[in-house]
Amino acid sequence: MRSVRSANYLQVDHEIRRIFTEKGIIIRPSREAYEDFRWTRDYFEQKPKEGYFIWFKKQIDYPLITCIAISSPKVSQEPMNLVVIEENVEAEINSVCYAVNKDLHGIHAGRSKIVLKENSRLKMKHFHKWGKGDTVRSSLEFSVGKGAKLSHTYKCVEVPSKLETETDTFLESHSSVNLETVVLAKCGDVYIQDSTFLNGKGSSGISRVRLIGDEESRIVAHSKMIANDVGIGHLDCMGLLLAGNSSINAIPELINRNRNASLTHEAFVGKISEENLNYLRSRGLTEAEAIDLIVTGFLGEEAPFILEGRVVPSKLHM
Amino acid sequence: MLKIENLAVNVDGRNILRTIRLEIRDGEVHALLGPNASGKSTLAYAIMGFPGYEISKGRIYFNGKEISGLPIEERVKLGLALAFQHPPMIKGVRLSSLLEKTSKRTLDVKRFPINPGLLERDINVGFSGGERKLSEIMQIINLDPSFVIFDELDAGVDVENLERLMSIIKEEMLDNGVSILLITHRGNILRYLRPDVAHVMLDGEIVCSSENWTRIWKTIVRYGYEKCKECKLPSSRP
Repeated sequence: MRSVRSANYLQVDHEIRRIFTEKGIIIRPSREAYEDFRWTRDYFEQKPKEGYFIWFKKQIDYPLITCIAISSPKVSQEPMNLVVIEENVEAEINSVCYAVNKDLHGIHAGRSKIVLKENSRLKMKHFHKWGKGDTVRSSLEFSVGKGAKLSHTYKCVEVPSKLETETDTFLESHSSVNLETVVLAKCGDVYIQDSTFLNGKGSSGISRVRLIGDEESRIVAHSKMIANDVGIGHLDCMGLLLAGNSSINAIPELINRNRNASLTHEAFVGKISEENLNYLRSRGLTEAEAIDLIVTGFLGEEAPFILEGRVVPSKLHM
Repeated sequence: MLKIENLAVNVDGRNILRTIRLEIRDGEVHALLGPNASGKSTLAYAIMGFPGYEISKGRIYFNGKEISGLPIEERVKLGLALAFQHPPMIKGVRLSSLLEKTSKRTLDVKRFPINPGLLERDINVGFSGGERKLSEIMQIINLDPSFVIFDELDAGVDVENLERLMSIIKEEMLDNGVSILLITHRGNILRYLRPDVAHVMLDGEIVCSSENWTRIWKTIVRYGYEKCKECKLPSSRP
């Protein structure tokens, strides 16, 4: 369990409060990396104003933690982040973006590029928590080199009034990705798009999307799996509607440009089954407790960690 | 303990149970026998108060209190419990999480002949027939009930596992005075639990009740359930 007080990168509004590097890891503000490492310009579309650059040159045995927070009213953040993992290196990152208070009406427009070089590994967990007046756009691009393996979880259980996420993953030969997106939306509009490109022979991709539509929420989830070479891809979208005034639009799209590739999908959007509810009620739980248990299970569990001195319980990670 | 007076139950507007009378006293084991679709499970769900099982007539009492209008969880709090014939799969909810959340007593998990990994799996997802039944019994014991309905407990369980289940039920329930309503249409389980009273249900009615369960069972095996309509066995029950 790590504390975000000891985060490796902590940014509040536009100010970098802390950078704590580890042996074998380079962590710099993006704008400095853009100046000092000219090769990073291949990845940054323009000179970054803010955000982090993390370069895993060696393996460490625990996750790096990054935290970008909005703490003041009407802040508009545009972090541009770049993470590079060298060949054969295994890395783990817990990334947190959030609003300190619920009524800050901030804007967070984050763009991240993550580069996994040949045979590297990355396990990344990305947590969001926002206030109702916030607007959030998050764009994420993974470049997964030959034989590399990526596991990425995005979880947001407190959505802003408007949330847009876009994830593009490009896979080279014999690389793989396991994407998991978990969103609980209440009083908000959510648009999620993820596209996985199987560009190399033997590449494989799985994208799992778990959505919960609570009161006055609208969710559109568009997942694409594109096979440009011989690979295997699977999309899996499950949505639970908890309220009558919510909607979920799940759009799985398979595009196959190679006849030897195999793409599949499964999707379900509906309410919690009465049979399951009655079963749990027959174990003494009230209907509300039964719904809570099912929803909590649906959201998936994570090991707890500390954020700003408080233990964040497993289910409500940011 | 449980008293049912002239109960009639409709499901989806269809009358499934007609004028059921049943009394189960403290610590008694009753067997409810009957062919498929005779209304046995409907009676179980009606006793538990499942939505969709509409009581059109009659009353259900538990320990002298009328429970006909209570929601499921309130009945469970009073001490009723049901072990399902076909418990549903609940993805994302681990068996250990449910046991923890519903615990009314200390559960000695080691007593149960299960793979410890089962507790950390999603409820009933990929469970074998025997594992499902063991999971049901663990959950029921965990609730510390005073009255339990076992709906086809023996279905899909091999002889060895059934013996284990019976041994657990005997030690954890019967020896502690728990009353049982055993729904079945198999003889093996009757020999293990030796019910105090056996009932036969046909077309939504209890057509025969007797302490002589062996006679009932022999009649069913020899002549089939229909014979029970005309064969009136003596009973000391009201």
